[in-house]
Amino acid sequence: MTDRADGMDVVRAALKELKDAGADQAVASLTRGEKSELNVDSGRMSLYRTTANVSIGVMALVGSRKGSVSVNDASPEAIRTAAKEAVATARAGRPDPANGISPARELERFSRGQDKPDSEAMYARLREFVDYAGREYPDTMLEQCVLDFVAVDTFYANSNGAEFAERDGAYDFSAMFTTKKGGRASSFNSSGASHLSLDTPLAQWGTLDRLMRESAASLDARPVDRAFKGDLILTPDCLGDFLSFLDDAYLGDYALITGNSPWKKKLGRRVLSPLVTVRSEPNGPRVELGYGYTGDGFRAENCSIIEAGRLESFTLGLYGSNKTGLPRCPSGGGAVIMEPGGTPYTDMVASVKRGIVMSRFSGGSPSKNGDFSGVAKNSFLVEDGRIIRPLAETMVAGNLARLFNDVRAVSKETVSFGSSILPWVLCGGVHISGAVKGRGA
Amino acid sequence: MKHSGLADSARPFAEYTEVRSQENRSSQISLLNGDVVSNGSGTQSGVSARVHKNGVWGFASSPEKDRAALRSCVERATANALFLASKEGRDAGLLPSRPGTGDHDLASGSPGRSKSELVEFMRDLDAHCAKSLPGLASRSLGLSRLDMEKTLATSDGADSWSLIPRTLIFVSLTLAARGEPIELYDVFGGLGSFEDVFSEPSALYGRLDLLAERLRQKARGVYAKPGTHDVILDADLAGILAHEAIGHTVEADLVLGGSVAADYLGQPVASPLISLTDFANDALGRRCPVPVWVDDEGIEARDAVIIDRGVLSSYMHNKESAAHFGAEPTGNARAYGFSDEPIIRMRNTAILPGQSSLEDMIAGVDRGYYFLRPSNGQADSTSEFMFGVTMGYEIRGGKLGPAVRDCTVSGVAFDVLKTVSAVSRDMSWTAAGMCGKKQSIPVGMGGPAIRCRMNVGGRA
Repeated sequence: MTDRADGMDVVRAALKELKDAGADQAVASLTRGEKSELNVDSGRMSLYRTTANVSIGVMALVGSRKGSVSVNDASPEAIRTAAKEAVATARAGRPDPANGISPARELERFSRGQDKPDSEAMYARLREFVDYAGREYPDTMLEQCVLDFVAVDTFYANSNGAEFAERDGAYDFSAMFTTKKGGRASSFNSSGASHLSLDTPLAQWGTLDRLMRESAASLDARPVDRAFKGDLILTPDCLGDFLSFLDDAYLGDYALITGNSPWKKKLGRRVLSPLVTVRSEPNGPRVELGYGYTGDGFRAENCSIIEAGRLESFTLGLYGSNKTGLPRCPSGGGAVIMEPGGTPYTDMVASVKRGIVMSRFSGGSPSKNGDFSGVAKNSFLVEDGRIIRPLAETMVAGNLARLFNDVRAVSKETVSFGSSILPWVLCGGVHISGAVKGRGA
Repeated sequence: MKHSGLADSARPFAEYTEVRSQENRSSQISLLNGDVVSNGSGTQSGVSARVHKNGVWGFASSPEKDRAALRSCVERATANALFLASKEGRDAGLLPSRPGTGDHDLASGSPGRSKSELVEFMRDLDAHCAKSLPGLASRSLGLSRLDMEKTLATSDGADSWSLIPRTLIFVSLTLAARGEPIELYDVFGGLGSFEDVFSEPSALYGRLDLLAERLRQKARGVYAKPGTHDVILDADLAGILAHEAIGHTVEADLVLGGSVAADYLGQPVASPLISLTDFANDALGRRCPVPVWVDDEGIEARDAVIIDRGVLSSYMHNKESAAHFGAEPTGNARAYGFSDEPIIRMRNTAILPGQSSLEDMIAGVDRGYYFLRPSNGQADSTSEFMFGVTMGYEIRGGKLGPAVRDCTVSGVAFDVLKTVSAVSRDMSWTAAGMCGKKQSIPVGMGGPAIRCRMNVGGRA
């Protein structure tokens, strides 16, 4: 991937094409990468896959009209055609003064990880994982596992003179598994993580070993006996999903541009429990796989999103910021860390009178008002401070803001997934119901 | 345009080899509260090769499409297969073969609309929404077009080309109710180029007005009560039930991976009123939303009859799973992009229509729900499923009551289908589905309305 033209020369040439075609302002980006991937299907290694790709994206502003084109051909002819197409698309659009590009910034280069995969080491680690899973959890079937190494170079330039180049080489591993024995089966579960090296056995990545152990113990799952309002412990895997829901409903571009976010006038005010602190740290050093610049062409800076329950920053990009008049998120909103609390996980469980530990939420996307409902998968009933049994056909319902306002404890322990670091969180006041005979509507 | 000479690249090699040249062309226009917030297009194209050796596969792809790139892909895929076979190879026998051939071009013969005309089309719809429902908190509209063009050749003789377009318009409206945003969306369009799917904006006004009226009802709506209820699932929900709840559990790779359906072949798994098929290209005399004539392993595609009058009769197969189960391949191996390997995917999965009328079905429910619109859905290897419901009504005394707010329904599919007490004679397809099993790919889902008992998640 390094034996071709310097990517900065390619994006600078694309900018010239955009300007020549009539763009008043322009952005060009180039992504070049290779992926090596080993797959396990139904418990056996099945596929070794290598892919190469290139992608060039060009964006033109004609006045405040925007048009964009992406192609996976970085030849001069293809870039020229794409630039003309982007300008033609912009001219066909409508003016919007919120469109803009980031200010000038001298070229900065970022680099992390290796250039090339170690195929033998990949194979050895995956074989080790399959053997480990077979030995430790003999009734657990590895439905699919994917271990890949992606090496990618990205380049960004805009007509104001902002320039960035970044090289990443990282391993990513995900596993999906289910346990089956004697006609009984657990729900499938899956997890994974990303890291810069293969120094650690894959079973120790993220929460994989814990989840496989829980899967093996979940053959006799059944619903909760009755509907009740109780506690919910979100595991790190599940918390990641709920923080994404929170971002979509309250913090992001769409929620704020539409005006639907209930927090649109609450910047600087307390919106969640004081136990909740969420930071976005793409610039390291705690998050292993951060990023150097944001998608809209700014140097990525670490920032706080929620600090002790107070709303410190939305996750707005440049367009959303211009549109709403609210501050742009300096980090781009990724590389999320939820700060740990002072409660050991075991004490957290011990404090629950009646509730569930939820490892996976299978539900519809939360409503714009933050209401959610779905099935608690790979979850356990907790009563009087003890984990009682695995659950099936059990549903949870609540409201995102109220859920994170009712946080009673955040665990001392955290899990690094490579691109995020998350703890366990105990919340109260969640509607929990099982597949019992209803009273009718 | 068909990639010439592809078949020559697949045949000279000792191992079973597939070569594919593919181009996905997409474009989108998005409006948010009247502003054009995105207006762009993209093309992803390239070639790939996949090689089978001693029970394992090697795959390689390149964004370049010339003869040298194709040859390089075949060599790299062969090397990958040999690498893995040297460590994990086994005596796997020959893969089954039913090579498909033929060209299928579903692109419009009509002249395309200009970029300006498409933007104005969407702005017209947006203006109608604003006029139809004054006081909307927000309006979001999107036009999405995707043309998938594939040329495929395999060393066992498959040789095919297809160009399958899909055009969709998404409309999402939000109304403030008691200080909270309440949203409802709909999707229009399906198989075909824009010119073949849409005519004038005014042709959609009636559906937009219905969307607006239902949003008004939902804003005044109530929360569903949690528990197990008599439920009528309208066609869109029956379709997602067919896809999520049953379809995934009978994909043969998931059967091998531990799906509960492994134990049920030949067994009753549903009411005798239920028959379910994954259609290849045509169903009940009509073209399906996602037609497949030759799959991405070169198999001539055939319908997969999954449930026949309540009995689980077969799975969906690729070549490898068909060999494992001693079954005929069904042509369910599909890949989304040029750099994706084919895996077992649904095509057009539907519950077949029955004999009842929807009105009689509603009249037969004393207390329950009539659900019309789904959001997303998920399934489990146990056949436990969930999907979100964004539009529905209470049923009281056989009549429709107030609308209900967003909720989630769930159940164990092979239990729920045994409770089906009526299936309507109407049937409709939804063409907007994207299934996210490793690769996201368009799927068709369809069905009649069905009456069953199901868990409803809500507020106690």
